[in-house]
Amino acid sequence: MTGATESPKYGTGLTGWAAHVGEVLSGLPAAYRRELGSNRRRAIVLTILAILAVTYPILNRFFLQGFSRNVFPLPLPDDTVVTFMMIFGIMAIGLNIVAGFAGLLDLGYVAFYALGAYTAAFLASPHFGSVSFVVLANVANGFPGIHLPFWIIVPLAVLVAGTFGALLGAPTLRLRGDYLAIVTLGFGEIVPVVFRNMADVTFNIGLGPISIVADHLNLTGGPLGINPIDAPFLPFLNIRFNASAGFAPVYLGMLLLVVGILVARNLERSRIGRAWMAIREDELAAEMMGVNTLRTKLLAFALGASFAGVAGSLQSSYLGATTSDFFQFSTSILVLIMVILGGIGNIWGVLLGAIALTYVDKTFLPYLGQQIQAIAPSFPNPAQFNFLFFGLTLVVMMRFRPEGFLPNRQRAAELTVHGLIAAEIARGEEVGVDNLGMAPPGQDEVAGDARAAETVDESEKE
Amino acid sequence: MDQVIQTVIIGLSNGLIFALVALGYTLVYGIIELINFAHGDLFMLGSMVALFLIATVFHLSAATPPILLIGEILLIIALTMVITAAINITIERIAYRPLRHAPKLAPLISAIGMSFVLQNVALLIAGPANKSIDNFLPTTNLLSAVGITSVSVTLQQVFVGMVTLPLLVALTWFVGKTRQGRAMRATAQDPDTAGLMGVDVNRTIALTFLIGGALAGAAGVVQILYNNVTVWNLGFRFGLNAFTSAVLGGIGNLSGAVVGALVLGQINAFSDRYLSANWTNAIVFGVLILVLVFKPTGILGQQLADRA
Amino acid sequence: MTDLASAQGSELLTGSLPDERLLVKSRRVTKQFGGLVAVNEVDFDIPRGSIVSLIGPNGAGKTTFFNMITGFYTPTAGTIDFDGQPIVTQRRNRMKGKKPHEVAELGIGRTFQNIRLFGTMTALDNVRVGANVHLRSRWWDAVVRAPRMLNEEAATLDAAMDLLRLVNLEDRAHAWARSLPYGDQRRLEIARALATRPKLLLLDEPTAGMNASETQEMTDFIRRLRTEFGLTVLLIEHDMRVVMGISDRVTVLDYGTVIAEGSPLEVRQNPRVIEAYLGRGAAEH
Repeated sequence: MTGATESPKYGTGLTGWAAHVGEVLSGLPAAYRRELGSNRRRAIVLTILAILAVTYPILNRFFLQGFSRNVFPLPLPDDTVVTFMMIFGIMAIGLNIVAGFAGLLDLGYVAFYALGAYTAAFLASPHFGSVSFVVLANVANGFPGIHLPFWIIVPLAVLVAGTFGALLGAPTLRLRGDYLAIVTLGFGEIVPVVFRNMADVTFNIGLGPISIVADHLNLTGGPLGINPIDAPFLPFLNIRFNASAGFAPVYLGMLLLVVGILVARNLERSRIGRAWMAIREDELAAEMMGVNTLRTKLLAFALGASFAGVAGSLQSSYLGATTSDFFQFSTSILVLIMVILGGIGNIWGVLLGAIALTYVDKTFLPYLGQQIQAIAPSFPNPAQFNFLFFGLTLVVMMRFRPEGFLPNRQRAAELTVHGLIAAEIARGEEVGVDNLGMAPPGQDEVAGDARAAETVDESEKE
Repeated sequence: MDQVIQTVIIGLSNGLIFALVALGYTLVYGIIELINFAHGDLFMLGSMVALFLIATVFHLSAATPPILLIGEILLIIALTMVITAAINITIERIAYRPLRHAPKLAPLISAIGMSFVLQNVALLIAGPANKSIDNFLPTTNLLSAVGITSVSVTLQQVFVGMVTLPLLVALTWFVGKTRQGRAMRATAQDPDTAGLMGVDVNRTIALTFLIGGALAGAAGVVQILYNNVTVWNLGFRFGLNAFTSAVLGGIGNLSGAVVGALVLGQINAFSDRYLSANWTNAIVFGVLILVLVFKPTGILGQQLADRA
Repeated sequence: MTDLASAQGSELLTGSLPDERLLVKSRRVTKQFGGLVAVNEVDFDIPRGSIVSLIGPNGAGKTTFFNMITGFYTPTAGTIDFDGQPIVTQRRNRMKGKKPHEVAELGIGRTFQNIRLFGTMTALDNVRVGANVHLRSRWWDAVVRAPRMLNEEAATLDAAMDLLRLVNLEDRAHAWARSLPYGDQRRLEIARALATRPKLLLLDEPTAGMNASETQEMTDFIRRLRTEFGLTVLLIEHDMRVVMGISDRVTVLDYGTVIAEGSPLEVRQNPRVIEAYLGRGAAEH
């Protein structure tokens, strides 16, 4: 919680660091308790759920086969689905930084997902067959293509996606919200189109003494994509983390997800997190208080993009293949729905949204489809119309619960008057008309958009 | 050279269709500052409805006698416009009006959801494949009557203008000269004051959606009669082009939307012909991004509402 | 710093002091919105350590002028120097002005006429955002919780609590800003502005909506700010008691031009000023 006292002065340098790490580790139990809240029973329940969640893949493999559909009425998610829960979880947390923390609507998030995926595809496959560059990878020397290990590819994907995020954001973050949304949507379309169409590139550029020639160069694999992509590999234990490796990839995903959660948390509770909140609340006032709003927004954008880059590199390495068909506008929206459904601005909320929606999309709807097909073969298969449900979900959520199911109190307050009242009750504040802090009527301040959330929703009165 | 002229003519026809759809975007944006994401999909529904009416209800074909043909086409246009207008008003009522006082991005997100709903409804009803009809409008080159054979203008293409231009004129008259049109302009300027002056803001906004929806329906009919094909995700491409047209011309500006649409018709035609249809969408997006970044007020500037 | 509190208003007139004694020096500042000239060729100095009030009827251009000093508007013409550095320059017809956050970094803090706090953030966080401008840790320091970041956070927390104590809000530190009573919000806004460690504090109608005793408290508080923090203060005010009570110098704006400048007493008796406020004919009484 903001306001909680962090540790006192440290020396900088290694000893300071060591002392800090030691203190963090010893403070973990207390932090854990604080995180779960003061309700003892709730804390125990949450702890049990957490343990179950973490050990689920193992349980599923060895113990739970009988549970699926016998005790639990719906099918339990299998390893692939749970891996994708991790992948989408990482993306949801990344988009939460952009949309939840900084309040920027990014409709083209899939572009960064694609960039991460293709980074792995370029750097861990036989695709660039005319060269051979093998470094620390699980591939024989001399094997065609570039082959870097997954552990190097992930930071590179962060770099690539983050850089593109910064490049895209620099000229466009001055735009107001809805225009920015459209521009990001455009980028989200252009990037996959580029990947799709660069399978046959021919050009001849002469720059003085240098000439760059390409003759039917297959740069991106086109609609057929790139495969195979090397699986992530842990040499010491000889484990591969790809789709045919059982539940191991889930834990790789979980590891990356946990890192992502920590990063997002630490950003939230820092001066940059406060700056994001301030910009969201009143960008003009933030700028006047010395916050470089453009740079701060850019940071949110680039950092959020880098999360998608990580998710993308994991996805393509896990599947062992990638193609531009994987990256559609609908994916951007799917992640957005996860964020909104779960609770925009709340890390745990969006994670919950990611898990729930991945389950619905990849397990529940196909299952429903199967059951329906068994009974009425000519009835449409809901798995193919998943976006009918998701679209309706968006409309309904924005209408009735835009703050999501695990709301972040500030966002809830910004979004609805109801949210404001609920949030303030939760904090034990008294709510009365005067406490909404309206200034006495005076002259109009210059510019600045009206904070519509403060006005009562008139249509409610109809 | 003849190829260029031919491309221009093709671009003109599609540009006029874009114009009808662009007007819907610009009208709605001008009045409630909402980018109606679902508008392109409404156009698609219009074309589906029109296809249904043409093929299954009226059984129009090349064999239909001309007088009956004209009469039934007019009837189909009217019916489709009514249907799409009704759908649009309903969408406004359930998805946008309740969010009118919410932060600006909420109705936009709702519109995105609505867009997916409309697409999937069409997918459900019509299936994933293209749906087409055989063309029954004459394709003889009208210019051959004056001796030109290298460039072709067909009745089919002229037909596009015959439907779109009267509608554009009617709209301009309506917005400029009628009481309701004035109400729309007033609401676009300042809804609160307009309300205080006696304008029924809710009804005016509903009217705007009605008109926009009707225009999208007309565009749908023209699309089927001219391009002869429709598909569940047609709205994406047309919506993109129509919205870019509106932005290019200055969002909120009616004549700007038309000018922008004509420009985009050309861009599409030339890109399809000389580059590749694969890249056309990306190029249009590129245009959109460039306009928004460098000249967000468009080339003709904002008009219906002078809001920053 | 000379004790300007006891100087006569006439010694502090625009143009009468050498540049090193000036914190703000603006010359021929003009702001035009389309056809409307909101500020017209205004010369305006703020001597270091002084409390200057800018008064005038509604619509005179006072807030517009504020907004130009803080970088929110770029003037149509003119130059503004702050603390010896140019913040608005004019090269032929091209105007170049620093952005608001740069101006804040240089040391200008402000409050707003209609309070603009970060409503759903706590009072403490509001103040801490103000402190951001002088913090040096970067986002990666935050990600790894580097000692540099933790030290800065601790220092910021202490400084923010000190400021809250200064405005008597330390027991409401964790309340949401929008839930605070009006007077507390005004003081919180000042605390937030002080967190930016300004040299110049711009207060836009700080006593609006306050009763007599609250106004007196605020007036004493502003005086304290000058002495304890070494601040220079520029005030927009309508309440003449405040203006008379603490200003070293008063500048009167009407229709975008300066119509009078001097000590509070001089300005009050100036017929043009009376006319501007009360209309022609009132000056005759």
